Amino acid sequence: MSVLKISDVTARFGGVTALEDVSFDVSRGELLGLIGPNGAGKTTMLRSITGIVRPDSGRIELNGKKLNGLPIHQRVRLGLAISQQLVRPFREMTLLENVTLAAGYKKTRRPLRAILALTRRSNRTRATELLDLVGIENHGGALPAEVPLGVLKRMEVARALALDPTVLLLDEPLSGLNSNEARILADTVVMLNDLNLTVVLIEHNLSEVMRICERLVVLDNGRKIADGTPKQVMEDPFVRTAYLGSVEEKDAAT
Amino acid sequence: MEHFLDSYEISLVVKAAISVIMALSLNMITGFCGQISLGHAAFQGVGAYTAVILTLQGYNFAFATAGGMISAGTLGFVVGLTSLRVRHDFLAITTMGVAFLFSGIVEQTKALGDTDGISNYPHPEFDPFGYMVMTLTLAVLVLAISIYVQRSWMGTAFKSIADDEDTARLLGIDVARFKLAAFVIGTAIAGMGGSIYAHQTTIIQASDFGFIESITILSMVVFGGVGSIPGVIIAAIILTLFPLWSQVIGDYKLLFYGGLLFIMMRFSPQGLSGLASDAVKWARLERRKVV
Amino acid sequence: MTEISLLVQGLLDGSLYALISVGLTLVYGLLRILHVAHAGFFTLGGYLCVVVTNATGSFPLAILVAIVASGLLGMVIYRLVYHPILRHPPFVALIASIGLFIAMEESFRIIFGEQGVAYIAPPLQITLQMGELFLPISKIIAFVAATTLIGGLGLLAAKTRTGIAWRATVTEPEMASSFGINIINVRYLNFFIGSALAAVAGIIFSLTTNLVEPTSGDVWSYKALAIIVLGGLGSMKGTLIACFALGIIEAYCTTNIIGQIMNRDAIAFAFLIVVLMIRPQGLFTKR
Repeated sequence: MSVLKISDVTARFGGVTALEDVSFDVSRGELLGLIGPNGAGKTTMLRSITGIVRPDSGRIELNGKKLNGLPIHQRVRLGLAISQQLVRPFREMTLLENVTLAAGYKKTRRPLRAILALTRRSNRTRATELLDLVGIENHGGALPAEVPLGVLKRMEVARALALDPTVLLLDEPLSGLNSNEARILADTVVMLNDLNLTVVLIEHNLSEVMRICERLVVLDNGRKIADGTPKQVMEDPFVRTAYLGSVEEKDAAT
Repeated sequence: MEHFLDSYEISLVVKAAISVIMALSLNMITGFCGQISLGHAAFQGVGAYTAVILTLQGYNFAFATAGGMISAGTLGFVVGLTSLRVRHDFLAITTMGVAFLFSGIVEQTKALGDTDGISNYPHPEFDPFGYMVMTLTLAVLVLAISIYVQRSWMGTAFKSIADDEDTARLLGIDVARFKLAAFVIGTAIAGMGGSIYAHQTTIIQASDFGFIESITILSMVVFGGVGSIPGVIIAAIILTLFPLWSQVIGDYKLLFYGGLLFIMMRFSPQGLSGLASDAVKWARLERRKVV
Repeated sequence: MTEISLLVQGLLDGSLYALISVGLTLVYGLLRILHVAHAGFFTLGGYLCVVVTNATGSFPLAILVAIVASGLLGMVIYRLVYHPILRHPPFVALIASIGLFIAMEESFRIIFGEQGVAYIAPPLQITLQMGELFLPISKIIAFVAATTLIGGLGLLAAKTRTGIAWRATVTEPEMASSFGINIINVRYLNFFIGSALAAVAGIIFSLTTNLVEPTSGDVWSYKALAIIVLGGLGSMKGTLIACFALGIIEAYCTTNIIGQIMNRDAIAFAFLIVVLMIRPQGLFTKR
């Protein structure tokens, strides 16, 4: 059963075609890696799913429901959450408050609901759990300006998790982390995935990607060039060219 | 009953209380939710005119005030809708446009008294002291509402929208609906302020609710510290009373306002509350030095 | 009034709007600030011209004084008011500018008096008649001044070194400074030119009405803001088109049913709001 269905999505900005006729499915409970060289369109793909970007054509479905045309907040309410590559914490709130806000998603559904809701203890508890889960519980009381990027990246992940999503989109969650932190976070993602959270992961840290992803979709210059298990994909000559092309040219020259 | 305040002092208190109500109501829109509004006095004007028309029809003060709140809130909803379409600087000028549209339409409308305004309308049965008590009570009520909203999840949602509305959407917040809520609540309260204002004076004119008056209210919010309830209250009281107390300043009142705004923005953009928190930080550092 | 006379009226008013709005657009394009205080230079130009003409009897001298003084004061305002607060969020500059404008107007009231000033011997009071059109010389001057000065500016921007440096600074400030262009000087130049043009508008205004009051700048200030927003905030082309469009719309609407419902200022803003609802980014965007 595919929980997320991407069909022939094309997106153009100015003169650049960021995505061209990209299609792939994501099964329930899958841990899918979306990889490719820089500028391949991976971030654009995730942004099209969340609705930040409106594709020129194509269809995106979540649990059979068409997402095209739906505003961002409604897609989130349908079970989507994203942790972005360029972190966007609320600057005037502590990290704990950031995650607490997300954890209180039921209370922010409607203004009328929100104005009648005062308590936040349970949400704060949940937020603390999540900060703990991603390893930054010590920084809960800090403001975003006071912590390093690696901490903010993990807060983004915690904040996305606080929305209790069915599909979690992670855009380079490991960048800014040292290898130990990266491994721990990757393991956490695997653990959540084992609990049936569907994950779509963009990552440049290929060693972790190979280790944890069940399946890879490879984009290059806006097109899908491979779709399969990590082993299959890495042996695919097109993929090797896309990633390693310059190295092979160098080899040929010497 | 012997009153310890004479009627001049009573009128000062009433004026200050009305300013506090107006400033807190704008604080809801601009302070809590981050939507700049340069036309807030127009909503006060809508409330005032509506209330006065209702009292002229024979309705009592409470009903008239409610009517004022409803009409102001409705216009606020419409303006809120325009705020969804335009951002930042565009929003600032659009709300400025609301101020001029209000004056411009009312002043051309015979039924609303053209530029002469409306006078000779019935006043509620309070004596001046009673009116003051009522106004203060309403001001306290507005304060309570402000604190409540700020503490509630609506306040938190507003804060996230003011901080980064795109990210707020990614957390499932229906930004449009919340902005509209901010506008409706803030403008309805402004309408209340309009009714109170109208019934403590004998004549209302469109020019009482123009662009300069809108800027005056905004200056209270900014001077107090955008979003800070105590700061805004103190600023509203100071900025209303100071020019009235001193006759010398009185003549230079607008110069004082203008200069104050400019100096505050230049040296402490976070207003009084910014100064207060800077003072607290400084005191903490000093204490650490001694220890 | 017939169609043609309304059109002419609109164009002439549009010229005055243009002279004021150019400065506003220059500042916005460069600093992303709504320079509300700009209209203060309009009023200042009018005041200085009248006062100096009355004092010395020389109108040309008065024009010179008014223009140069306004330009210099504009530069001072940049240095004292805007330069120190650029690092803060934009509403800070907006409010500072509003405060400054109010303070300027009040200063005019206190220095020059509540009643305003008028020429003892008003210059250039001829009115030409073409058919049924009555064209005061001052309004013709407005149109000529607007077209030549603004057109001249456009040519300078396109052809001279300074002009190219200016355009570079507006579009890519960091790159411009790495090329050795002194950004600060460009900003000073912008404020000088913008404020000087506003003063020219003020001078023409003083000729048209023969009375300069403290609040003379109000209407122009607010409308100019509406104009540059309408034009698309930072787009010179958009601003100029919006100026003439507004001039013509006002000329027509004040005489028909719309003018019954709302006054001139309201018409300007109603027009603005309608356009923004259709095109939230204004008529033209910056690039």
